[in-house]
Amino acid sequence: MSTPTAARPKYVGGAVKRREDPRLLLGRGRYVADIALAGTVHMAVVRSPHAHARITGIDASRALATPGVLTVLTWPDISAEVGPIPCIDAYPDSLPALQTALADGVVRYVGQPVAVLVATTEYGAEDALALVDVTYELLTPVVTMDDALAGETLLHPELGTNVVTTIAQDVGDVDAAFAAADRVYEETFEIHRYAPMPMETRGVVAEVDPISERLTLTTSTQFPHLVRGFLSGCLGIPESRIRVVAPDVGGGFGAKCEFYCEELLAPLLALRLRRPVRWIEDRREHLVASTHAREQRHTVRVAVLEDGTVTAVDARSWTSSGAAYSTLTTTPASISSAMLRGPYRIPHYRARAHCVLTNKTPLAVYRGAGHPQAVLVMERMMDVIAADLGRDRVALRLQNSLTPAELPSDRGTAIVLAGPVVYDTGDYGFCLTRAAEMIGLDEDWPAQQAAARAEGRYLGIGLANLVEETSIGPYESSVVRVDGSGAVTVLTGSSPHGQGHVTTFSQLVADELEIDIERITVLYGDTDVVTDGVGTFASRSAAIGGAAARKAAGVVKDKAMAVAAHVLEIDVADLEWRDGAAHVRGLPARSLSLGELAQASTAWNAPLPGGMSFNLEGTYQHQAAGIAFSNATHAAKLAVDVQTGEVEILDYVVVHDCGTVINPTIVEGQVHGGVAQGIGGTFMEDLPYDADGRPLARTLQDYTTPTASDMPWIRTDHMESPTPLNPYGMKGAGEGGATGAPGALVNALQDALSVFGVHLTVDGPWTPDRVLDLVPEDLPWA
Amino acid sequence: MTQTTPRQPAPALHVVQVTVNGEPRDAAVPARTLLSDFLRDTLGLTGTHVGCGHGTCGACTVLLDGVAVRSCLLFAVQTDGCSITTIEGISPDGTLTPVQQAFQDNHGMQCGFCTPGFVCSLTALLAEDPAPTDQRLTETLDGHLCRCTGYQNIVKAARQAAGREALS
Ligand code: FES
Ligand code: FES
Repeated sequence: MSTPTAARPKYVGGAVKRREDPRLLLGRGRYVADIALAGTVHMAVVRSPHAHARITGIDASRALATPGVLTVLTWPDISAEVGPIPCIDAYPDSLPALQTALADGVVRYVGQPVAVLVATTEYGAEDALALVDVTYELLTPVVTMDDALAGETLLHPELGTNVVTTIAQDVGDVDAAFAAADRVYEETFEIHRYAPMPMETRGVVAEVDPISERLTLTTSTQFPHLVRGFLSGCLGIPESRIRVVAPDVGGGFGAKCEFYCEELLAPLLALRLRRPVRWIEDRREHLVASTHAREQRHTVRVAVLEDGTVTAVDARSWTSSGAAYSTLTTTPASISSAMLRGPYRIPHYRARAHCVLTNKTPLAVYRGAGHPQAVLVMERMMDVIAADLGRDRVALRLQNSLTPAELPSDRGTAIVLAGPVVYDTGDYGFCLTRAAEMIGLDEDWPAQQAAARAEGRYLGIGLANLVEETSIGPYESSVVRVDGSGAVTVLTGSSPHGQGHVTTFSQLVADELEIDIERITVLYGDTDVVTDGVGTFASRSAAIGGAAARKAAGVVKDKAMAVAAHVLEIDVADLEWRDGAAHVRGLPARSLSLGELAQASTAWNAPLPGGMSFNLEGTYQHQAAGIAFSNATHAAKLAVDVQTGEVEILDYVVVHDCGTVINPTIVEGQVHGGVAQGIGGTFMEDLPYDADGRPLARTLQDYTTPTASDMPWIRTDHMESPTPLNPYGMKGAGEGGATGAPGALVNALQDALSVFGVHLTVDGPWTPDRVLDLVPEDLPWA
Repeated sequence: MTQTTPRQPAPALHVVQVTVNGEPRDAAVPARTLLSDFLRDTLGLTGTHVGCGHGTCGACTVLLDGVAVRSCLLFAVQTDGCSITTIEGISPDGTLTPVQQAFQDNHGMQCGFCTPGFVCSLTALLAEDPAPTDQRLTETLDGHLCRCTGYQNIVKAARQAAGREALS
C-alpha cells in the first residue's frame, strides 16, 4: 500500500542523466563487430576499382584454391535467387535504375560489389580478395553533373537518359509574379559531396537459427523492421522466417537508413553455408561503399518587389544521385524542392528537382536530407537581396517570414513518403530576432567589422533560418508491460543509435504511470522482441515513438484502474491514479500499487470481469496526423585570417523550437552534433573524384572531420511551440543542427569577405587554400 | 591482372604474454595480428572499438604500461611482456571512475562508440598530470574523433574530470 505524497516531480522536461551511459562507459556495449558466434566464417567483398567498366571475366580459381576459402560468388551464381536492392522513395514516373547485390556485368562506381567470398578467418578473407581475378573493359566515366546532363554517356543506356527522376512542385502563379516583379535575382549554387561518416562503420552477422531454422540478421542499422521487410522481399522468404537485430549502433546519421548489398549477401551465404557469416566494413570500404550525401546544383530565380517583398521563386535542382538508386534516393531532392522557401511566405513557387545518375557511390540521406542545401540557397538569396536593396538582413527576413497568426499554413508542396507540407506551429520571427541579438548583429556591427579590418582581422556574421520536416509517420508502435514486482518494460519499434531512447522513453512512461524511472526497462532493436516498428530517421523517434510509448502506458493505467475497481469492488469512478497506484477517493490509504494490480491480473488469480485479457499490458500504435515542423535560427560569427586562409568560428548561436522538450540535455546534444557536422561539411569534409571517377578520399586522413578544437562554443536558446499534431506537443530535434549550419557559415564567410567583392555560390568545403583564393593577391597587409 | 605472392597456408604462431586489466593472459597468434584484434577477438575484450583501423580516430585507444596508444597501429607481438589496460579495466570494480562519471554527468556521449578511447586517453593524461593545462587537455581530446556530440559536452566532461572550472 502506498501513502499519498506531495506532488511527484515530473521527469519530462528535466535534464535526466542518460540511463544508457554506465554500460557504455564501462566497455560493456555490444556493437555488431563485438558478436562472436561459434563457427563464424568471414565474408569479404571484391569491389570495383573502376568508375565505369564492363566486366569481361571473373576467375576465382586462385582464391578457391587457397586453404580456408570456402566459396566465391558472382552475379550469375545468385541472380536467380535475389531481387534488386529496393528503393522506397521512387516517384511513379521515376525510371528504374536499381542496383543488384553484385554487379550484373557492368560496374558503375568505384567500390561497387563485384564478387563476394567467404573464408574461415577474417584476415584470410581479406587476403583472398586479391586472388579473385577480374578483367574489365573500361567505359567512359560520367563524373560531373555536366557530364551527366550532356548525356553523351549513359549509365543505363536502356533508359535513354541519366535523369531518372524529376519532381515538380507548383504553387500559385509564378510567371505572373515574375512579370509583376520590380527586381529579379538569379543565382546558381553548387553543393559538394560529403557523407554522414558514423564512427562505427557498417557490419552484419547472419545466421540460420538452429532451433527455429529462421534467418537471423544482426546489422548496424537505423531501421531493423524495414530491413526485415527488404530482406524478405529480396530473398523471397516470408518475414515470419526472418529476425533482424540492431544491437548497439555507433552512429548512423542516415548512412544506416539504407538496405545495403551486404545485408542481402551475408544472409544468402549463411543460408547456403549453414554457418554464421560475419562482415565488418572497414573504413576504406565505408568511404566508397556506404552512401554519400548532399551533392546538388541549384539554379534559382527570385522575384522581389521594391519594398522587399519576395513574391516568387522559380527553382531547379539537380542531385548527383550516384550510380543507382539507394533505398532513399529521391528524398534529398524532394525535401530540397518542397522546403526551399523555409519560413518565408513567398506565395508563388515552382520547383523542378532532378535526380541524375553519375559514376559515383549512390547518394542518399544524411541528417537533414535535402534541408541543408535548401537553407543554404534560400538564406544566401536573402542576403543577396538585402545587400542589393540596401536593406537590413534581419528586417528583410522578418518582413517575409510567416507569423504565428498565419499558421497553420499549407505550403502547397509535398515531400515524398511524408506528405503535404503544412507548417503547424512556431514563431520564426522570435527565433530570428533572438539569435541576431545573441550573436551581436546590431547597428554597430559594420563599424566593428571596419575597426577589426583596420587591424587585419576580417569578421563576419551569418544568419540562417530554417523550418524542417520532423516527426514523419506513418506510425510507431509500443508495448508497455508490468510484472508482479511492479517493474515496467517498454517495447518501442524505434531503434536508436545514440539518441538516448532508454532515457527519454523512460521519462515519458514514468510520468504517465507516476513511478520512479529506475523501474523501467526499455527494449528495442530486435524484431522478435518488438515485432512491429518503423525506425529512427527524419527526427521522428521521440515525438512519434515517444507518443506511442506514453499512450501505451496510458492503456496500462486504464486497465490497472479497471482491475483495481474489480478487486476493491467499487466503481472505477471512485478511484484515482496517483504515485503509481490506484487510490480510493476519500480513503487515500486504501490503494493498490501497479505491482499488486499486475499480480491481480495474472491467470493465477480469479478471472477478470467482462472478458478482460489477463496480464497488465498495453499496446498502442501512434499514427502521425501530419508532419510536425521544427524551426530554428542559426547565427555564426567568424574571423578570417587573410594571410593563411584559416577561419576561426568565434561564436555560434542556435535558437530553436522543437515543441515540447522531453530532455533539454539530449536536445542540446543533438544540436551540438548537428552543428559540428555542418561545420565539417562547410570547412573540411569532401569526397572529391578525379577525372576518371576515382574517389580521392580513402581514409580518415583524407576525409577530415572536425575535432574538439575545430569547434566553437555553441550557445543555445529555445522556445517551445507545442504541435497540435502530437498528443504531447513534441516535434523532432535530431537534424536541425546540421540543417542550419552550412547556410549560416557561408553567409558569415560572405560577410567577412564581401569587402573584396566576393560572391559566394559554393557551399564549401572552405579549406584555407580555397579561402585564400578569395583574397586579392595585392592586399596591403595591415 | 593483379599479381600476388601466394599466401602462407599456415602462418607461424607467436606466443604473446601480457597482463591485461591486471590478469596474466597469453595466446599464440600470427605475427601480423593487430593488438586491437588480439584484444577484441582473441581475448574477447570488445570494449576497445575500431573506428578506422588506420590510426586516425582514436577509438581503439588502450593503455600500454600506462601510456595511451592506438591498438590498431600495434601488433600484438610488440606488446609481449607489457601491461595493458582496456576500457573494461579502467574501473576496477564496475563503478564509474571520476572520468567516466564526468561523461555521464555532462552528456559527453551519444552512441558511445568513440567513448572508450576518450576515457582511456583522459585517464592516462590525468594519471600522469592531475592538473593539466587547457592546452594539454585540448591536445588529448584532439587525438580523438567523435561524430555524435560535437565535442562540447566532451570538453565539459574533461574539464570536470580535470577539476577545471566549467566553461559557459
Ligand atoms: S581504430 Fe585505431 S585510430 Fe581509429
Ligand atoms: S558518441 Fe558517437 S561517435 Fe562519439
